[in-house]
Amino acid sequence: MAAADTPSATLRHHDLCSRGIRLARKMRSDVTDLLDIYVERQGLDASISVAAVDGVPTAAVERWAEQTGTQRLLDNLAAYRAFRTLLAQMLEEQRELLGDTDAELGPALAAMLLQVSAFVYHLEELLELESRGAPAEEGSEPPAPPRLSLFEQKLRGLRVLRELAQWAVRSVRDLRQLSKHGPGSGAALGLPESQ
Amino acid sequence: MFSGWSWAVHCLYLFLNICSFEVSGGLVQSCGHIIPESPVLALGSNFTALCILNESCLDFGNIYASQIIWKMKNKVIPKEQYREINRTVSSVTFNDTSSLASPLTCNVLADGQIEQNIYGISVTVGLPPEKPKNLSCIVYLSPKVEWYMNCTWNPGRHTFLDTRFRLKYMWPRETFPDCIPEYVNNSCTISDVQFFVNLEVWVEAANALGKAESDHLVFDPIEIVKPPPPRNLSVNSGILPTVLKLSWENQISTVVMELKFNIRYRISSDTNWMEVPPEDTASPRTSFSIQGLRPYTEYVFSIRCMKEDGVGFWSDWSEEQIGVTTEDKPSKGPTIWRTIDVSPSPAFWIVRLMWKALEPFEANGVILQYEVTIRAKPPLSHPPSRYNVTTTSLTLKLPNGTYEVTVVAHNRVGASPPSVLLIPSSNSKAPVKNIRTLPKDGKLWVGWTAPNNVLKYVIEWCLMSNSSDCITEWQTEPGNIQGTYLKGDIKPFKCYLITVYPLFADGQGSGQSVKAYLQQGRPSKGPTVQTKKVGKAEAVLTWNHLTVDEQNGFIRSYTILYKTVDGNETAVSVDPSKTEYTLSSLTSDTLYTVRMMAYTDAGGRSGPDFTFTTQKFGRGEIEAIVVPVCLAFLLIVLLGVLFCFNKRDLIKKHIWPNVPDPSKSNIAQWSPQVPAKHDFSSKDQMYPEGSFTDVSVVEIEADDKKSFSEQDLKPFDLLKKEKSTSEGHSSGIGGSSCMSSPRQSVSDSDEGETTQNTSSTVQYSTVVLNGYRDQTPVQVFSRSESTQPLLDSEERLEDHAGGSDSTTQRQHYFKQHCGQDETKTERPFFERAKQIISANEEDLAGFAQLQISGQSSQPLGFELEENTQEAALPDVLQTSSEGQTVRPETVEGNIPSVDEMPKSYLPQTVRQGGYMPQ
Repeated sequence: MAAADTPSATLRHHDLCSRGIRLARKMRSDVTDLLDIYVERQGLDASISVAAVDGVPTAAVERWAEQTGTQRLLDNLAAYRAFRTLLAQMLEEQRELLGDTDAELGPALAAMLLQVSAFVYHLEELLELESRGAPAEEGSEPPAPPRLSLFEQKLRGLRVLRELAQWAVRSVRDLRQLSKHGPGSGAALGLPESQ
Repeated sequence: MFSGWSWAVHCLYLFLNICSFEVSGGLVQSCGHIIPESPVLALGSNFTALCILNESCLDFGNIYASQIIWKMKNKVIPKEQYREINRTVSSVTFNDTSSLASPLTCNVLADGQIEQNIYGISVTVGLPPEKPKNLSCIVYLSPKVEWYMNCTWNPGRHTFLDTRFRLKYMWPRETFPDCIPEYVNNSCTISDVQFFVNLEVWVEAANALGKAESDHLVFDPIEIVKPPPPRNLSVNSGILPTVLKLSWENQISTVVMELKFNIRYRISSDTNWMEVPPEDTASPRTSFSIQGLRPYTEYVFSIRCMKEDGVGFWSDWSEEQIGVTTEDKPSKGPTIWRTIDVSPSPAFWIVRLMWKALEPFEANGVILQYEVTIRAKPPLSHPPSRYNVTTTSLTLKLPNGTYEVTVVAHNRVGASPPSVLLIPSSNSKAPVKNIRTLPKDGKLWVGWTAPNNVLKYVIEWCLMSNSSDCITEWQTEPGNIQGTYLKGDIKPFKCYLITVYPLFADGQGSGQSVKAYLQQGRPSKGPTVQTKKVGKAEAVLTWNHLTVDEQNGFIRSYTILYKTVDGNETAVSVDPSKTEYTLSSLTSDTLYTVRMMAYTDAGGRSGPDFTFTTQKFGRGEIEAIVVPVCLAFLLIVLLGVLFCFNKRDLIKKHIWPNVPDPSKSNIAQWSPQVPAKHDFSSKDQMYPEGSFTDVSVVEIEADDKKSFSEQDLKPFDLLKKEKSTSEGHSSGIGGSSCMSSPRQSVSDSDEGETTQNTSSTVQYSTVVLNGYRDQTPVQVFSRSESTQPLLDSEERLEDHAGGSDSTTQRQHYFKQHCGQDETKTERPFFERAKQIISANEEDLAGFAQLQISGQSSQPLGFELEENTQEAALPDVLQTSSEGQTVRPETVEGNIPSVDEMPKSYLPQTVRQGGYMPQ
């Protein structure tokens, strides 16, 4: 906690929050564009409804306003780590499916993957400033996803991108909350950190 | 023989041992090797190489390290650099690798004579890479809307080695593949740049001699963005004539960055940009309205942008876009002036009103027309007159008086404020004083001392030229200044007449003028000088002033330069107002060259040379000489006349003595008759009747000449003999200024011994056989002036019945030969002439007797008195001209016979006392 009290830590926290918000906005903007490309390339209907898919984090949460800062960071970190894995998997499937011939979807997915990775870095840095430290990723190898059909892969990819868009919006809001209260705000909320 | 063969075998053995040490595989094994193998060395460092011989070579070839020779590119390395480490190892050391060259070889001298190569290495010398400096990166947006980052750096010195540069970049917890430059070593471009995460960037340079890294840069790529300029800039006219609205599109999403802008604009005809205050465009936007513009003016706009917080780079300026503001009514009235010319009717003026077209920023639109109103001031009481004109001048014929002229300009929007000019009946107000000009900064400044309460000034000027009229230009200036620059195309070397008028509220002052040049030059030509009058020691020179087009400046002075052909040039300075100058102290009768130079402030130029010659005599000198001479001559003549008049008796006695009348002479009475058929008209005039009374003339009829025989010539022979004894005979006839010698006939016959000469000298006389009047023809010698051969004379006598014609011809002939006397005269003749002189002197004695008897003719006597000596020469000369005049055959036939001429007188040897008739 001592580190979070220093002016430089405050500045660092503010800077990370600020740039995190802008990065989340950009992710939101880019993922919207990516969804259009994805639907077009995969031959899907943009209005198609996709049920929840296992492994894809859901942005919706109950009692969001009551969350502590740390909890928000942890939730975001877990979600974006998951998205990072899912996007990497989608990129791999995309390369297997279309090769390097698709000059639009592949680079867009790769760019999105980079942004997600950057946002993960932001979250990890913010958690460092919270003196909490970023939790280690679960296992070195993610559990092997069940073997899906090609259509199921497309639907899952659509679900991932949609949830990512939702998460980008939520992350902006989360970081705004964090930015308002400064570092260590998680304790100030009076909520148990264990939550 | 055997030893030689043995030596060859031994060498071959050595060669095989050294160079062809065969091992398994068929490869040739070297007899040694060098350490290090193909090193890469730092330039300037020291280096030591070892040549290690194989033991086998020692055994078979007796080769040791002491025999090793190091060579570098076939050049033996000095042995001072060698060191024998042991019997198989030799080293060579270089203190500076810059002197190294490849290949470096190790060689041996087999048997001390044959040099064999053991091994060789290639040495590479270079430099380790320097630390890359000045690393900087800029993020751009590609046309595909992808962000990319270009980083540049200074690679440092040339290493002479293959040096690889890598641009490395990483996030704090994620690394990326290196960016490897292609074809260059100082820049690299990274694609897929992600913002909002710090990126660590550095450059690594590496070659065989080492590795170097630049300083690491850590930045968020969003901070080094150079955005693309806004696109689709458009300009829309606003409601107001001074406002234009700009609109554009930003190429960067606001999600990435917010932008601020710079807007610049300029009038199309101007090159200077104006800029909208940056604080007005420091917030994100896509449009902006620019105010304070000029109505009806074309503007050019451009815009650029950068990150709102000012971190990063400004974009390039966008493409320019043109916009035009709408019209507004003219902001001011046109400046107005007038010229007044004299009208044929003295009660009227010809007033030419002039006004200047409004500048675009004053007109605020297209001027459609000018409305001119003229109001007469008391005592005139004309109603105001209005004129609508589209030009900028108006000429009117107005009664003399005071007028107020108003001009209003109209465009589509409205009318300008009126411009008013008061035209007084007379310029009665105070004029400006001390008007002066000064060239300054390529413009002509005119200044003056102002009178009080001046409303404004009008400055008129015009270019003075001989080739064109003075076209007046003018400008107005406010009344509070006392000097201004002329606002026009003022050319150098041209004369301008500048006039300043002060305008008052109730009148105007008279104009004051000054001539001025923006820049003076040398005259384009010099004056042409001429002489107006030339005397003995002075010359009046005249010239014309140079025209204003030729002057190129103010003529400050003239210089007259004059000189003689071989003399020094003299210069005389002359006032520029003069056109005449008198050169004095000139030398008489001398050729002078004069030229004239005209000087301006910038220099002078010479006119053409003019030459003149001073007179030999001064004015009146000739008269002073001629008049006295003439008077003296007249006096002498007068004295001579008086003398002659006083001595007229004496003169007459000597020159025109009284001649006795031949008709009263005894001879005349004795002569039978006078020949009738001869025309003696001329002779009668020359020798009036009776003048021959004292001369015996033998006249031979030409027709009778043919009948003369040689026997007839005998008497001539006798004559010859007599002549030889008594030379100096002269008939006295024919003595003339042509120096016909009376002795001619004598000497002819004497010289030639033939009749040739006789025939050629028949001109001596013509024998007239006709009787005188009714008397029996007497032989008369009539003087013949012909020197033609007798034959010719004969033929002519046949042709012409009268003897006068032939006489005339003979006169010509005679005269022709007179001129040859001097040239054809030979010494013997002169000797004879002297004799003749003596004879003539004797004749004179006889002549005197004749005179006493009153029988001497007047001409004869005169000639004898003056030319007694010369008179003998022509005949003598005639004799000498044999080749020209002598025709022997003719002469022979023409010799007259005395016997056949009974009625004629033959010339006799003249003795003292005259002719003797036979």
